[in-house]
Amino acid sequence: MRALRLAWLTVVRQPARSCLGILGVAAVGALLFDMLLLSRGLILSFRDLLDRAGFDVRVVASDTLPFNGPRLEDATALARLIASLPEVEAVQQVRVADAETASGDFRRRIEFVGADPQARPMWTIVAGQDIAGRGEAALVINRHLAETLRLSPGSSMSLTGRCGEAQGAPPLAFTVAGIAEFPFDTATADTVAGALSAAGRLCGRTTEDTADLLVVRSRPDAGADAAAAAIRRARRDVHVVTSDDLVQQFNRTQFSYFRQISVVLATVTLFFGFLLIAVLLTVSVNQHLGEIATLRAIGLTRRRVVSGIVWESAMLVGAGGILALPLGTALSVWLDRILRSMPGVPTDLHFFVFEPRALVIHALLLAMAAIAAAAYPVRIVAALPIAATLRREAVS
Amino acid sequence: MVFQPTMTAAFLISVALLTQASPTAVEPAGILITRQLAESRGLTVGSVVKLATDPAGAHARLFRVDGIYEPTPDPMHFAQPQLDARMHLPDLLALEAGMPDERDRRGVTSINVALSDRDAERFALDVAARVPGLVGRATSAPDDRTNTFIVVERFHLAIAIVTVVGSAVFLLALMVMLVDERRSTVGILRLIGFTRRRILLQVFIEGAVIALAGAAAGILFALASQRLFNGFFQWRYDTTLVFLRITPSVVWRSLAMAVPFGIAASLVASWTFLRQQLLALIRR
Repeated sequence: MRALRLAWLTVVRQPARSCLGILGVAAVGALLFDMLLLSRGLILSFRDLLDRAGFDVRVVASDTLPFNGPRLEDATALARLIASLPEVEAVQQVRVADAETASGDFRRRIEFVGADPQARPMWTIVAGQDIAGRGEAALVINRHLAETLRLSPGSSMSLTGRCGEAQGAPPLAFTVAGIAEFPFDTATADTVAGALSAAGRLCGRTTEDTADLLVVRSRPDAGADAAAAAIRRARRDVHVVTSDDLVQQFNRTQFSYFRQISVVLATVTLFFGFLLIAVLLTVSVNQHLGEIATLRAIGLTRRRVVSGIVWESAMLVGAGGILALPLGTALSVWLDRILRSMPGVPTDLHFFVFEPRALVIHALLLAMAAIAAAAYPVRIVAALPIAATLRREAVS
Repeated sequence: MVFQPTMTAAFLISVALLTQASPTAVEPAGILITRQLAESRGLTVGSVVKLATDPAGAHARLFRVDGIYEPTPDPMHFAQPQLDARMHLPDLLALEAGMPDERDRRGVTSINVALSDRDAERFALDVAARVPGLVGRATSAPDDRTNTFIVVERFHLAIAIVTVVGSAVFLLALMVMLVDERRSTVGILRLIGFTRRRILLQVFIEGAVIALAGAAAGILFALASQRLFNGFFQWRYDTTLVFLRITPSVVWRSLAMAVPFGIAASLVASWTFLRQQLLALIRR
């Protein structure tokens, strides 16, 4: 405890120096904390978006990402087969079609998500009602489209399919049943969701039985992996991915740049923090060699003086580290806002996401930096020749 | 000049199914494949492969690898391996024949046009007026995709600002300690007649020299490490993209920030002592 008090007295004796040291550590610590949030932020946020849809397995025709590859043929039969598996709780067919508003001079491009109205929806209703039980003409629309076209539950709208050669299919009349939030919507996306059959009718195809993907909810007692394995056994010609697989796939490709950049910046930041504390402590110790020699001469053990240096380092880093947390949180909000302005990023996807793990790693890394920074000044103090130092002090 | 019809197709395709096949009597059409595709599937020039747009391999056709090329790196997709093949347009259309999906219908995504008079903007307007539904765009026109890089640049600038603030605090702390160490020296200089202004000028020069030396060392370190940084990311993503480039503009901006900060830190730290009474400086 005496070593702790000695360290405290040293810190408060030079408030300007100590405050600047703490502020420096806080700035560095805030950046380090943010890099830790960034390192897994996209993964956690993406996982959250996937989970929000309420389905943990996806079935597609090829190993490309959903909506980029060919469609599943005989989708209804496939969905029935999958639904009959004991590991599966629910199956939902999804078909996405390009459409545009059929009225007005300026035609807005709209993404039409077709799904089974009776199944649990993949969107969250924020106003009005869902499409279930309201027939093929019912739609839910996203908030952006509702605000832009000034639509509300009960409004009517006409849509035409953008179907390449088949362009010319008559417009379909829909009624807005509700306003919904779609997990992967971007800030400027115009998304609507309606019946699966309506997605086909937009391009005049009433008999086509295809789907872009099937989303599957596994039974809680079986789990996603068991459900995926069962589907693979039942149909070897389809590609089955769990939410975990998708997260891993994105982690390896799309998100890896931010993970790598966060590792590089965290390493540089940590080194910078170590350097800051090491220099401050070393200069401080060199300035007070006479005092330290005197303390040793009047009976303070080497261990106690060395402990004082370590405690001083811990105090500076500890105070700076604690200050870094609110500072880093505020900074992460700013940086997150910058990155989320990238085109095509879903509104609810975040780059900086807090998790307790980041806090623990932050504390561990700063503790390591504090110990490493104290090493050199501790060595100076441990090897200090008492008599020679006192003599030099007296002569000078 | 890029000319974009609304019908969909692709000249450059990602391979849906690729298997090495044994040569047959029918002479297969030639294709070019990317180095990454060649390496990932162990293909060489002369290999005969089967390509299909259908994942089950329906309507597959044989192709002969006539060459392997290094793809132009695409910053938008650098994290994904470029497993691409280039083929003649008639071969692609033949490959797509029979696809039931409207996304794979016969047609092309874009047509590249070389103009003799180089007035791309006027040509684009002319095309739009004559053929409604087609979009003509000059290759030099601003690309919306660059917005992503503007955002990434803004992000890196924000990180740089935070780092500079941290460095400034560090520098100030260091200068406060160094000046404190010189308290008695400054006191003696004042005693023998040096004016505050003269001492401050000395401090200014010293701060400028230290700041310049520090900035130069930082720039040299950045120049030395940029190869390491680029090398790591080029290896990691198997691309020839340059991720970090120290340009003269970057050097000047670093100097413009670091040197004034260094000088200011020296002056601020010194002034706190210089304004004290002489006796306080020599601790009497």
